Amino acid sequence: MKSPPRARADPAARTWRRIAAIGAALAALVVLRLFVERPLGGAASFGWPEEAIRTLRMTAIAAALSVGAALGVAGVFLQGLLRNPLAEPFILGVSGGAGLGVTIALAFAWAGTAGSSIAGFAAPEWLPGAELVADAVRQLGLVLPAAIGGIAALVAVIALGQRRGAPDPLALVLAGVVVSTMCGAVVLLLQHLSPQGLRSDLAAWMIGRIPEAVEPALLVVVSALAIAGVALGAALGRSMDAATFGDDEAHAVGVPLRRLRWTLGIASGLLAAAAVTVAGPIAFVGLVAPHLVRSLAGARHAPLVVGAALAGGALLLAADILRQLVDLGGGRIPVGIFAALAGGPVFLVLLRRGKGFG
Amino acid sequence: MTLLAAGLRKRFGAVAALDGVDARFERGRIVAILGPNGAGKSTLLRTLIGALRPDAGTILIDGVETGALARAARVRCLGYVAQRPLLAGALSVREVVALGRFALDRSQERVERALAATELTREAERVASTLSLGQQQRVALARALAQVDAAGWLVLDEPLAALDPAHSVHAMALLRAHARGGGGVIATIHDPTSAALIADDALLLDRGRAVAAGPAPATLAPRMLEALYGVPFAQLDGDGLVALLPRPMHRSSQGGGSTS
Repeated sequence: MKSPPRARADPAARTWRRIAAIGAALAALVVLRLFVERPLGGAASFGWPEEAIRTLRMTAIAAALSVGAALGVAGVFLQGLLRNPLAEPFILGVSGGAGLGVTIALAFAWAGTAGSSIAGFAAPEWLPGAELVADAVRQLGLVLPAAIGGIAALVAVIALGQRRGAPDPLALVLAGVVVSTMCGAVVLLLQHLSPQGLRSDLAAWMIGRIPEAVEPALLVVVSALAIAGVALGAALGRSMDAATFGDDEAHAVGVPLRRLRWTLGIASGLLAAAAVTVAGPIAFVGLVAPHLVRSLAGARHAPLVVGAALAGGALLLAADILRQLVDLGGGRIPVGIFAALAGGPVFLVLLRRGKGFG
Repeated sequence: MTLLAAGLRKRFGAVAALDGVDARFERGRIVAILGPNGAGKSTLLRTLIGALRPDAGTILIDGVETGALARAARVRCLGYVAQRPLLAGALSVREVVALGRFALDRSQERVERALAATELTREAERVASTLSLGQQQRVALARALAQVDAAGWLVLDEPLAALDPAHSVHAMALLRAHARGGGGVIATIHDPTSAALIADDALLLDRGRAVAAGPAPATLAPRMLEALYGVPFAQLDGDGLVALLPRPMHRSSQGGGSTS
């Protein structure tokens, strides 16, 4: 990346310096999240937490980082796939579809319990961390239905968002809203039909939350997917750069467009599914993170993907810290509410600017 | 040593965009493709570069079907610039031109040479999508120049339409240099005068058929253009140049010809 030749070295180095700065901000937020505390009904303060609390906070940090990274990378992938600056998992109904997948899996007790063909999976004992691996595979019983739901929703939205044979930026967004709303309605129906305990769990999850207690194996699965997403994005960076040209010109320079699009579509479905499984459908992080990084560090996709992963984590962590500090009298406010309130205006600004519309 | 299209057919729904086109493009020559709107010019270019799969027909480069070429070989042979190049991604000019080497070795030297040839070196760090349409087209041409080998073809959709006269002359010189270096140029050109200025050969398309092909002076004769466009043409000679102009239907006759 830091090749010497004159003029070129400068912008590339600057890009990576800015990405590093986002990483530093993220590290600061991690420290802050570890030390900020506010007993219910009390005032916020800083202090070194005792071990049990520390574990909860570490879990929340890990969840925020992996979910934020997954959403940020999924946003970059979807924006590249559709050449649409408004694309992100929530808007396009991918999160909604993934949520429906998770809910169906839970409602029919497919995940981790009887009924799942992979529920009985046991890793060979000689494998280091065999228990965790076995647990992780069982967690796929939740993530896979989510991924199937998310990818199905994406395919439906792309099919519905065509105008005169080509995807239309605004038609895509409208189709996303409709698919999202319909998936939400089915989720609410299933929720309505479920037993009391599951019902309130689902309700909290539907708003979008950063949990302080998660199956460690699920966290492993989601982090692994997020890291794989970053690696894939870094590897496909130049392809995504070249795919910003028109289809014909991208083909002419040698981009295998069809393969690239399938890869990006499936990967963004998997990433959104991973995020939704842990945190519920959180809006706009997948939109704000890539745009924030683009404005700071330029449009080349390889650094953009890395930056969007860091920025996504930082945004969610910031929201999670904010939620520790703000008390409107009703207890801690779910993170999803902060995300929607902060991200909505960004979406509107991008919509009005209309930048990048064909 | 040729790019050969034989029996190309392509339908879009009920419309036959290409209705059995045969064409032959030699290296070292600039071929202008002319025809009324909807004649199939852009479809022919997109089919030649392999972005569209024809319903029937074959495209051969030096006897090898283009579909059978390895990706890198195909990319070295065929560069393409669209009429309105889409440079949406907020990439810098240099980044866009460097992507000409996407499927090839990342020769920095080729990139710098293409930037210099198109006089874009000073613009290299600017965001390509913020440039004027004419400049964006030059960026895309630079990308194609960085991409294709000396013996490859530049396939260009209306490369001169968005350029002011100075840049138009400059672009023509670039295309001529590529042809002189042993490469081929295939360009749709709306304006017959520009076509006559730059092209060695011309290919006339009408409703998906190649109605005439051959050396430019003969193929672009006024009566050929009249048959193609259905309006009368006049040819003005002067200063060693030829202008081919459609005659206005009403007879309010013109004063000076265009002889710059």
